[in-house]
Amino acid sequence: MASSSSSGLTFKLHPLVIVNISDHYTRVKSQMNPPPPTSATSNSNNSNGGENNQSPPRVYGCVIGVQRGRTVEIFNSFELLYDPSTHSLDRSFLEKKQELYKKVFPNFYVLGWYSTGNDAEESDMHIHKALMDVNESPVYVLLNPAINHAQKDLPVTIYESELHVIDGIPQLIFVRSSYTIETVEAERISVDHVAHLKPSGGSAATQLAAQLTGIHSAIKMLNSRIRVLHQYLVGMQKGDLPCENALLRQVSSLLRRLPATESEKFQDDFLTEYNDTLLVTYLATFTNCSSTMNDLVDKFNTAYDRHSRRGGRTAFI
Amino acid sequence: MEALVTQIQGLSGTASDVLSLQNLLKQADDSLHAESTRLPPFLDQLDPSKHSLGYLYFLEACTAGPVTQEQASSFLLTIARFISSCVAEQIRLAPDKFICVCKRFKDQVLLLEEPLRGVAPMLTAIRKLQLSSEHLTALHPEFLLLCLLSKCYKTALSILEEDIFEVDQPRDLFLFCYYGGMISIGQKQFRKALELLHNVVTAPMSTVNAIAVEAFKKYILVSLIHHGQFPTNLPKYASSGAQRNLKNLCQPYVELASSYSNGKIADLETYVEANKDKFESDNNLGLVKQAVSSMYKRNIQRLTQTYLTLSLQDIANRVQLNSPKEAEMHVLQMIKDGEIYATINQKDGMVRFLEDPEQYKTCEMIERIDSSIQRLMTVSKKLNVMDELMSCDPLYLAKAGRERQRFDFDDFDNVPQRYNI
Repeated sequence: MASSSSSGLTFKLHPLVIVNISDHYTRVKSQMNPPPPTSATSNSNNSNGGENNQSPPRVYGCVIGVQRGRTVEIFNSFELLYDPSTHSLDRSFLEKKQELYKKVFPNFYVLGWYSTGNDAEESDMHIHKALMDVNESPVYVLLNPAINHAQKDLPVTIYESELHVIDGIPQLIFVRSSYTIETVEAERISVDHVAHLKPSGGSAATQLAAQLTGIHSAIKMLNSRIRVLHQYLVGMQKGDLPCENALLRQVSSLLRRLPATESEKFQDDFLTEYNDTLLVTYLATFTNCSSTMNDLVDKFNTAYDRHSRRGGRTAFI
Repeated sequence: MEALVTQIQGLSGTASDVLSLQNLLKQADDSLHAESTRLPPFLDQLDPSKHSLGYLYFLEACTAGPVTQEQASSFLLTIARFISSCVAEQIRLAPDKFICVCKRFKDQVLLLEEPLRGVAPMLTAIRKLQLSSEHLTALHPEFLLLCLLSKCYKTALSILEEDIFEVDQPRDLFLFCYYGGMISIGQKQFRKALELLHNVVTAPMSTVNAIAVEAFKKYILVSLIHHGQFPTNLPKYASSGAQRNLKNLCQPYVELASSYSNGKIADLETYVEANKDKFESDNNLGLVKQAVSSMYKRNIQRLTQTYLTLSLQDIANRVQLNSPKEAEMHVLQMIKDGEIYATINQKDGMVRFLEDPEQYKTCEMIERIDSSIQRLMTVSKKLNVMDELMSCDPLYLAKAGRERQRFDFDDFDNVPQRYNI
């Protein structure tokens, strides 16, 4: 599989597609636990449902959108059934769905298909070729469901198929294409919500949490870098490492840039403010704890106290 | 019998062996009990540190019958040695036998009237039986009883410091907190005593029990000494039985509390004199006297809220003390205990009341608050777990479901339930 396509097509991906694929995968994965019985009435849409529960399931579906000239814009997607025996997608279902979607979105065409996994596989080429009679050059959207915290970009790759001559045989292989994310206003709001999903709502709480997380990660990074410097300097002092004067000069200039307020008034104010913040946190934790305790006591009283007041019906106006 | 001994010696190696040994011992238990008189020589063949489980069974059978005076002290030595050298994992397989042996140990010690001998072995026994430091076993109250009777309160304090989250039997909790409260009173740690007695009084109980009644009497007195007031209603997490009945059963104490709140020392003293024998029969007379003397402290504290400076003579008059010298003694004691902040100017006999000098600016304060927050977070986590457990409890769900409104407002109106207060 080559790394860049040469077709010159620009791909625009809408977040709705990503959310759809991710939702499909999550649903199937969560329906797999506990291990389903070996009966055929398993709810999973994919092939691996009954066999191995360790490997993540693969889900399949179709992506639809609009192609205007050289720009391919992928708007939506829907799920498809995968037939493990013939290694192909359910054709009649695809056509039925296509008709339904045509009624609602007359402009959208089937642009390709999606699946989940780490990398494109050989068996995917079968499905790809099968779809070629719907669209001459379908796209393959691959979502990697493994959560990698170090990775900064989206785990979504778009593959195209190209005819390359390998060992004298013309073969269709997948080539990676770049894409951009395109959002409609409605999508932006919902993605914002999903990104900041918190158990208790409140925009103020989420903003505070986001800001604090940002500060936390920044401080963590600073801490790890200072540690590296410290280790290096200790090594230099012990003689394990060669002494580099340029580096030492840089470190000392960095240290001299640190804030120099060492006065007593600063200490006083700083400690007072620190204590105040801690006291507020303490109060908040206390209130939280008391509230849980209160709930627990109420529940305990309802469950176990024989002579508690009967009929705690709340009166509505 | 000899076969059993060799089996014990053979099978005390690994954990699985010990489990099979336990089954064997369970089956042989009755025969052991039947031949209890013949058993002591076999005990010498077993090593308590390696064959703890077998030794335990033998020991329990030995001590089951009535014990004579000479046998008693030798048994005490054997049991004490066993407790100090036994292996914790093995005895945890047969906890009730172990508790039985320890209880008999305690009875013997009390019969011989040497409770001090039992304190250290009992402490080791608790540490070995406990699954974690948050676990309350049946041995805890026995240990506290021995500490109380032998008046070594300090050793008990380490046990009292631990937070308890698991209890085997409710009676253990009642006794533990009651004795713990008494020990804390003995050590003059009234805050801890109040906490422990509060636990007894508000513990869930379907019917009021005698321990709770006695604890309630002490609770009233300690809360008068420590807080200067007594809350008339028990909090809502106290069982309803307790809420209704405890006050009726401790009538003289409740009246003592109400006369305390009037603030007149003379009335209080006359009341105490009148009901002296009732207090004495409950062994609470000492506490009552402490409560009366704490009245002076309460009054002096009330003075700090009104006056900035006061002469010693004035203090003596207002608090109904006999002389300025006594007032000075009281104020000095209170400053030392940290109950008020004041300075005494001995030249003109004036007392100046000060504010709390704590500025909340120090690093020690930061550490204190931080550790409190950490503790609160662990408690909060545990509470959440308990809350979830409780929400799934079938008893609770049955009763909660029954109390729902018959007609859902939603059925009749499109507007969502926004008016349910």
